[in-house]
Amino acid sequence: MVGNTAEAEDLTQEAFLQLFRKIATFRGESAFSTWLHRLAVNVVLMKLRKKSGKETSLEQVTEPDEEAGTPGRDFGGPDLRLTGSLDRVNLQRAVDQLPPGYKAVFVLHDVQGYEHNEIADMMGCSIGNSKSQLHKARMRLRDLLQEEVRAKAREDRRAAGSASGGED
Amino acid sequence: MSTIGCNEFLDQLELWMGGERSAGAQAHARGCARCGSLVADLDGIHQTAPSLAVADGEPPARIWIALRAKLEQEGLIHYERQGLTGVLRGWFGEVFTVVPRPALAGAYLMALVAVGVALTGPGQRRLNEDLWIHGTQVSTQPLSAQLDSAEQDAISSLTNSNPVVTASLQKNLAIVDNYIALCEKSVLDEPENEVARDYLYDAYQQKADLLAQISERGGDGR
Repeated sequence: MVGNTAEAEDLTQEAFLQLFRKIATFRGESAFSTWLHRLAVNVVLMKLRKKSGKETSLEQVTEPDEEAGTPGRDFGGPDLRLTGSLDRVNLQRAVDQLPPGYKAVFVLHDVQGYEHNEIADMMGCSIGNSKSQLHKARMRLRDLLQEEVRAKAREDRRAAGSASGGED
Repeated sequence: MSTIGCNEFLDQLELWMGGERSAGAQAHARGCARCGSLVADLDGIHQTAPSLAVADGEPPARIWIALRAKLEQEGLIHYERQGLTGVLRGWFGEVFTVVPRPALAGAYLMALVAVGVALTGPGQRRLNEDLWIHGTQVSTQPLSAQLDSAEQDAISSLTNSNPVVTASLQKNLAIVDNYIALCEKSVLDEPENEVARDYLYDAYQQKADLLAQISERGGDGR
């Protein structure tokens, strides 16, 4: 989820520390694995929120966020598969730019294969909220990937222009 | 067949991606290039996503070393302090397994009296200190062994590194080792001093951090 081995190691350590600190608060109301996963996800979310530079509540990161890319109606653009831009590297780069809440749900569902009810348990949100966040995350990813395609196209045109200008 | 417009299709897109596809939405997706392209892109993102998963690997040893040091520091690991009663209980327990209980009843009573006398004697303080020292050694031995193992790994990773950097790291390692030795001596001198124990765990933490740095440099070939 953090896309960086050193950070992942720090967060692993922090998650285990939190486990030892908070084990007494586990009341057995859910499966231990769910509780532990929720704790680990919270550790990662806290870190991502700190990195994004603004303090937000769990509700905020799981609620629709207009600035963070609520799906717009202007959905036309190049077909990512046709332009060959939809590969692992580009997708990872785009995922890294997602807001924390979107990123967490996308990684848990589409990358790690968790179901919405499990994600809802882990993140303390409703199943509907998890589904909604996932859809918005995918739409935002498409926007980001398209921006990449457009930027590359502009770059290519500029390069072609300067090359032909040089020949004159 | 009734079809729907782009806006209605977009309203249903979340359901579509979840597998709920109305006849109208299917008809629209077939007939509208823009919506068809959008669906293809979202499908592509969904299908490519699993490739981002990284194989589960065992975290490096330094994480467990640093974690253990931190847990020790925060007092979250509770070692069983084998006090005097525990020692006696263990000793008598073993005796009772080999000798019939009635035959030992009198001897047990006498032993209790003897222990009572011993508790008030000058030897008691020395015994308590021994137990503290033993407890500290038990609690730090696994940590110390893990650090030694991590140190060997880290040093062997430096074979292709810059000799100047290697020398500097080894010098730092020697300084930290000296610091650890000093802290260990303080703990042995004053086994009941919590501050001395904290300093010792801090020293272990410093060594773990240094070994992590060495491993990273070694891995990078710097």
